[in-house]
Amino acid sequence: MYTMGIDVGSSSSKVVVLQDGVQVVAQAVVQAGTGSSGPGRALEQVRQFSGLTPEDMDFVLATGYGRTTLPMAQKQMSEITCHAKGVFFQEPSARTIIDIGGQDVKAISLDDRGNIRQFYMNDKCAAGTGRFLEVMSRVLEVDLEEMASYHFRSQSPASVSSTCTVFAESEVISLLSKGTPKEDIIAGVHFSVAAKACALAQRVGVRSEVVMCGGVAQNSGVADAIQRELGQRLLVTHDPQLTGALGAALLAYEEIMRKGKSA
Amino acid sequence: MEQNINALLEQFRAVAANPKKAMEDYIAETGKGVIGIMPLYAPEELVHATGFLPMGLWGGNRSISKARTYLPPFACSIMQQVMELECDGAYDDLSAVVFSVPCDTLKCMSQKWKGTAPVLVFTHPQNRGLESANRFLEHEYAVLQEKLEAITGVKITNAALENSIQIYNENRAVMREFSHVAAQYPQVISNKDRHAVFKARMFMEKSRHTTLVKELLAAIKATEPQPWTGKRVVVTGILLEPDGLLDIFDELGLAIVADDLAQESRQVRVDVPEGNEAPLYRLARVWQNMYGCCVATDTKKQRGPMLMDMVRKTEADAVVVAMMKFCDPEEWDYPIYYRQFEEKGIRSLMIEVDQEATAFEQARTRLQSLAETL
Repeated sequence: MYTMGIDVGSSSSKVVVLQDGVQVVAQAVVQAGTGSSGPGRALEQVRQFSGLTPEDMDFVLATGYGRTTLPMAQKQMSEITCHAKGVFFQEPSARTIIDIGGQDVKAISLDDRGNIRQFYMNDKCAAGTGRFLEVMSRVLEVDLEEMASYHFRSQSPASVSSTCTVFAESEVISLLSKGTPKEDIIAGVHFSVAAKACALAQRVGVRSEVVMCGGVAQNSGVADAIQRELGQRLLVTHDPQLTGALGAALLAYEEIMRKGKSA
Repeated sequence: MEQNINALLEQFRAVAANPKKAMEDYIAETGKGVIGIMPLYAPEELVHATGFLPMGLWGGNRSISKARTYLPPFACSIMQQVMELECDGAYDDLSAVVFSVPCDTLKCMSQKWKGTAPVLVFTHPQNRGLESANRFLEHEYAVLQEKLEAITGVKITNAALENSIQIYNENRAVMREFSHVAAQYPQVISNKDRHAVFKARMFMEKSRHTTLVKELLAAIKATEPQPWTGKRVVVTGILLEPDGLLDIFDELGLAIVADDLAQESRQVRVDVPEGNEAPLYRLARVWQNMYGCCVATDTKKQRGPMLMDMVRKTEADAVVVAMMKFCDPEEWDYPIYYRQFEEKGIRSLMIEVDQEATAFEQARTRLQSLAETL
């Protein structure tokens, strides 16, 4: 039995195909999100890798910002529910989740069975999100993938505002013009993201294990900053960008099981 | 019967969507004028007793531009909207505007009114325990009465005021019943229609509104309540607009079974007490009888227990906090009742309310997550 989870975010599209609710048989990530060719290209990658298409699935469940735009999905669920499911599947000791995506930051509190106790999202503001890092990457002329290595070379992280992306951008330009090393600016940017995420995490109540997911979790510099800001261990899920799609595929499997029981 | 219910609801929808027409119709029909009532609480009965129409001014859904000249970005969206409408001359047909000033933004707004209608400001006493505070407010109302008489040219007699108090008390009772009945018929009364019935109340003469609500209640009660497969929520906050937000509640099967919104049930929570005292004094006592509102000082912090009681009585699954963006009185209350909810295991969710908003994807994600996890 195959189930598919599709997570169409603001800046990327992710697909996971599960066999019998346990084994990942195909996955794809395309760095183009809702309203773009991203979802179609991600599905095409899955087809090329595994030969599987949505028509071969027993159930397709969509999540993410663009979840309502996919005609092949039989159900849509929120990314909060899907990330919680995906994280708990990978790390059953997870009690607090920090998910940083393209335009959202979320903190989710779980009970010992993986049920969501409480969650918070950022307000309508890009500060502390993946978009914030993209803006900084452009200003600093450092690729996103390289930012972590700069972070770990920093001797004295600069102070960067966590209130507003636009203000932070002008702060970074000001730091550059003063000759502050890029390593210190980038570490400052990461601590700014961490401050925003940890404030949300504190609102749901931080309990171990704290697990990070979402595309920004691929940046180990941000994960390091969050760990230091929290003062406790932070785990990062395997393929953090795919956690939402994995959760969606798991929930799709549960839908099949539930329907089977009620039939 | 369903056709009748829909025809009645259509009347509420039409009034709620077009207050300007409601105003023009009233003026054409009665030859009298209209007096604006700013949030949050005012003795509307005084205006009603003049024969003028009290009309609530609770903002709108415009794109804000001119208001930015006069207000900081962190003024709440109701005030941004009101300022924008003022600048556009939308309130210039009003004979006056009655202004209570229970928060800092309202205080400032009352002093920088940009419309041509005169502003009649009065103050609620901060202390809600002393008898002298009742007497102070009675005096404030007496001053307001004098100003209204001068503007309308109508002497407000005690008999006329008693009559208006009765009309308002009856309307409040009918609206409390409506809220109760709507909770039993979520398939019949959508969240958006529930809001329209409450909102139309702000723009209609109250005895007419009462008659229409009674007709609606009779039509609804003639049908059998059906089992509700969705979830049930209590909402709290200043208001829950624009309609795009209510559409999401409807789409997700989240039935609003009770509300603690300042624009809706807080307006009908407390009646003017019966008794032999002067009507102005009894009107003043309403302020000390009010409870569970962020601008009415409550040293015992009873808003949380009140909301939990609403949850219990309506068998609600959760509380949705409709947090008016930049409303600090509401924001200060939140951590207190949130902690009380946590202690009692009551699920809650906060969403941000901004009347200017046109996109609601963040609210949709939050509400959908709540619905999925209840």
